[in-house]
Amino acid sequence: MHSHDHAPITVPDGTPGYYEVMETAIRELLAEKGLIHPSEIRRQLEVLDSRTPQLGAKVVARAWVDPEFRARLLLNGRSACEELGITFYDDTQLIVLENTRDVHNLIVCTLCSCYPRPVLGLPPDWYKQKPYRARAVKEPRNVLAEFGTAIPEDVEIRVSDSTAMVRYLVLPQRPSGTETWSEEELASLVTRDAMIGVAIIDPQERKVQ
Amino acid sequence: MTPSEALVKRLPNDIGGLPADRIDRADHELQPWEKRCHALADVLDFHKIVNAEEKRRGVAALGTELIGKLSYYERWAAAFANILFQKQLLTPGELALKMDEVSARFKRESEV
Repeated sequence: MHSHDHAPITVPDGTPGYYEVMETAIRELLAEKGLIHPSEIRRQLEVLDSRTPQLGAKVVARAWVDPEFRARLLLNGRSACEELGITFYDDTQLIVLENTRDVHNLIVCTLCSCYPRPVLGLPPDWYKQKPYRARAVKEPRNVLAEFGTAIPEDVEIRVSDSTAMVRYLVLPQRPSGTETWSEEELASLVTRDAMIGVAIIDPQERKVQ
Repeated sequence: MTPSEALVKRLPNDIGGLPADRIDRADHELQPWEKRCHALADVLDFHKIVNAEEKRRGVAALGTELIGKLSYYERWAAAFANILFQKQLLTPGELALKMDEVSARFKRESEV
């Protein structure tokens, strides 16, 4: 499958393209028929805007400083996130995968683009495109190398393939040298890519997200 | 395994493990209509009108050629139209008329 995302088609005079017209028409017809309400779309847009990797970072930092929370998070990702006030607006379950000295986790959705949206927001384009989806399960070390991430050979790389109902989040390893850091400082280190598993956390490099 | 057997065993979106290009890490900010399309998908899922799996199958059913020509959310819009026709919640005629109306409205708005 060709998976390059083309630039949206906008006709030269700046009016919306065919598919934007289609999206608008479908939405308005469904509203006219009473199947959906326009306010639901507005509300969901607000929900989507409220979800960013900062939420996931908050979860990770809490897990690093609170062993009991970490245990609950690994047992049931969804209910532990809900403890921190992160609502799940869909029916998905969340499995949190802990990186250790022996195991490095990587998440992917080979079939489409399933992603832990309630805690990370919408996925980056590369996560939805063919190269990552096809190769992550087959040659994860090469994929990681393209992200500049080298995992020692004696560390097992475990790739988890998401489904419509089960989503994953990587709990990165807490970097050494951060023992005295506050929870907020720790959260500022945690990147989206580290929670997907394509990066590790470098305390020298504060995130730029 | 014959080529047709391989195709039977692997649906078009089932690409895990296949050879593919290098990863292009360029990202793009979603256009407002793309975000609305995502919100629409979520609302359709909440109401059990179209769930995530139906949407995924609806995209696959567009066929390789069309999938290759459309961007991510363009596929979703086309898939929603087809799924809603199949479920008899919309008719193609209704959608065509509404699209004409929306198109004319956008055109008027752009002229203001």
